[in-house]
Amino acid sequence: MYRYDEFDRQFVAERAAQFRGQVARRLAGALTEEQFKPLRLQNGLYLQLHAYMLRIAIPYGVLSARQMRQLAFIARKWDRNFGHFTTRQNIQFNWTRLEDAPDILDALAEVDMHAIQTSGNCIRNVTADPYAGVAIDEIEDPRVWAEVLRQWSTIHPEFSFLPRKFKIAVTGAAEDRAAILFHDIGLKIVKGAKGATGFSVFVGGGQGRTPYVAQEIKSFLPKEQLLSYLEAIIRVYNLHGRRDNIYKARIKILLNAIGADEFRRQVEAEWSNLDRPSIDLPADELARIQAYFKPATLKKAPAQEPAITARRRADVAFDRWLRRNVMPHRVPGHAIVNISLKEPGKVPGDASADQMDVVARLAERFGHDEIRVTYQQNLVLPNVAVADLTQVYDALVAGGLATANTELVTDIIACPGLDYCNLANARSIGIAQEIAKRFAEPAKAEEIGPLRLNISGCINACGHHHAGNIGILGVDKKGTEHYQITLGGSPKDDASIGDIIGPSFTAEALPDAIETIVATYLARRRDASETFHTAYHRLGKAPFRTALYGADAPRLRNEVLEDADV
Amino acid sequence: MPSVVTANDLRSGLVVYLGPEARWVRDLADALVAKAPADLATLEAQALSAVAKTEVTAVYAMDVNIVSGIPEPVSVRERIRAAHAPSV
Repeated sequence: MYRYDEFDRQFVAERAAQFRGQVARRLAGALTEEQFKPLRLQNGLYLQLHAYMLRIAIPYGVLSARQMRQLAFIARKWDRNFGHFTTRQNIQFNWTRLEDAPDILDALAEVDMHAIQTSGNCIRNVTADPYAGVAIDEIEDPRVWAEVLRQWSTIHPEFSFLPRKFKIAVTGAAEDRAAILFHDIGLKIVKGAKGATGFSVFVGGGQGRTPYVAQEIKSFLPKEQLLSYLEAIIRVYNLHGRRDNIYKARIKILLNAIGADEFRRQVEAEWSNLDRPSIDLPADELARIQAYFKPATLKKAPAQEPAITARRRADVAFDRWLRRNVMPHRVPGHAIVNISLKEPGKVPGDASADQMDVVARLAERFGHDEIRVTYQQNLVLPNVAVADLTQVYDALVAGGLATANTELVTDIIACPGLDYCNLANARSIGIAQEIAKRFAEPAKAEEIGPLRLNISGCINACGHHHAGNIGILGVDKKGTEHYQITLGGSPKDDASIGDIIGPSFTAEALPDAIETIVATYLARRRDASETFHTAYHRLGKAPFRTALYGADAPRLRNEVLEDADV
Repeated sequence: MPSVVTANDLRSGLVVYLGPEARWVRDLADALVAKAPADLATLEAQALSAVAKTEVTAVYAMDVNIVSGIPEPVSVRERIRAAHAPSV
């Protein structure tokens, strides 16, 4: 993985020292809250419902064991023994004291971490495929380019005050595991003529109040021209993006207002006027960064181990864990291990300090010192020898981290909701817990098969409800929490935005409604190989509506999203 | 409707309510309740003074119901804040 050089270290240390001074001036009354707020947000510090919340950047979701251990240390020393992994591959601490924030930033700087680009109208922390560098379907490692983008975008003087926040995701694989089509810019490494690799560039995706799937504006961009092309895109956005209305300020609104063709034309015109050689990365600098991402030295080994096979036969839970959570690795004899943070009944995405230590230990001992965070709020050990899988599994079981539910109905994405968030209209966590309990029996969840269930506590959609096969949106109806269901969304290559199925449900009625939807799918699917998502798009809304609301299903006015106090 | 004034403690960020003698209290039951607009204006003036003295931030008035003489939050949001913990 990338290692900070002296320049990086000095920069992060200076930022932490600068923030220490800003906090001191705020506490002394030299800065008002109005003056201080943008400064604290530039360092990831929000004021939430109960306390300050510190959002820490995990660039493209990659952590070393030492970094994970430091997060555990922070959780113990300055928070409440846990952290919350987010849908942007970051981590949040929910109980930060303003007085402690400078010390926490120092502790982060000790392990080459910080909270820059986790808030504000800048280019946010770049996200990537959590299987980067090890996936069997990968063309090239996207971490190299995510790191290039990190270095390019960090306090970029032209792009630090954009009309609104700006999110970029990169994948180098055939299967989209980074939801790139729901980002302001989604980048997919593709093969071009004569085996050259480049990027397919998608723009204007996003969720929130006005969800859009990104549109391709360039099918093949030579990779060495990435920075100048992105600069052209963001310049067009910076110039023409709306600053008069926060709800219309994202690039998706601009692109859809003028159309993809006109947007592309403007980008190409801007690009042709740029001094590209002064922006694009010199080959030697790219080579320097690439060298950090050399694959781990892994010895090829047999894909089957007799001891593993024997344990599988004897241990149903181990067999299920292998089936659900362990994925093939590009080097035979190795595996990608998904660590679920979705034990039914627990808070989705939360990890205790002890659990962080367990994962750090496993990464050191069995995982070539690398951990990934997924946007589905789980963790990954990307480099585990098949021969070590029983030891890894046993340690995960002991740490309460062996739930075998990757991509199943209980692998729920949920935002913090009204239990923590100042923006939320309704609670998400309790709803996620209740639904997960209904499907907690592992055999039942497996029988249902792959099913993305995502929950957001408000229309800002941090819980990705639009992209859920089943999406749940919390709304406030005259002071009572209600939940609106969408069906048919997908975050993958077939990205789509879910359809609103009908009027919302109370918190008490919602778990039954979800069970009804799943039962309808099970009764109507062609066979077990037809996923919920495929079946829904074959069947359409009608059978699900009828099952939920009866033959005379009420229609929502224009089927519009319900919002607060509708 | 009766109301109280709430804020977040500047240093810790924790939820507080304006109590007697312009002191900030953690327990909503100890908060001063304004039953008339003039009472609320007095509380708000005290709160703004506390903001200026960097004691608290994010000050606002919130509605409460009085149950057995004790103020209780009206909204779900304020019930969660008053509990000083998530509901899960």
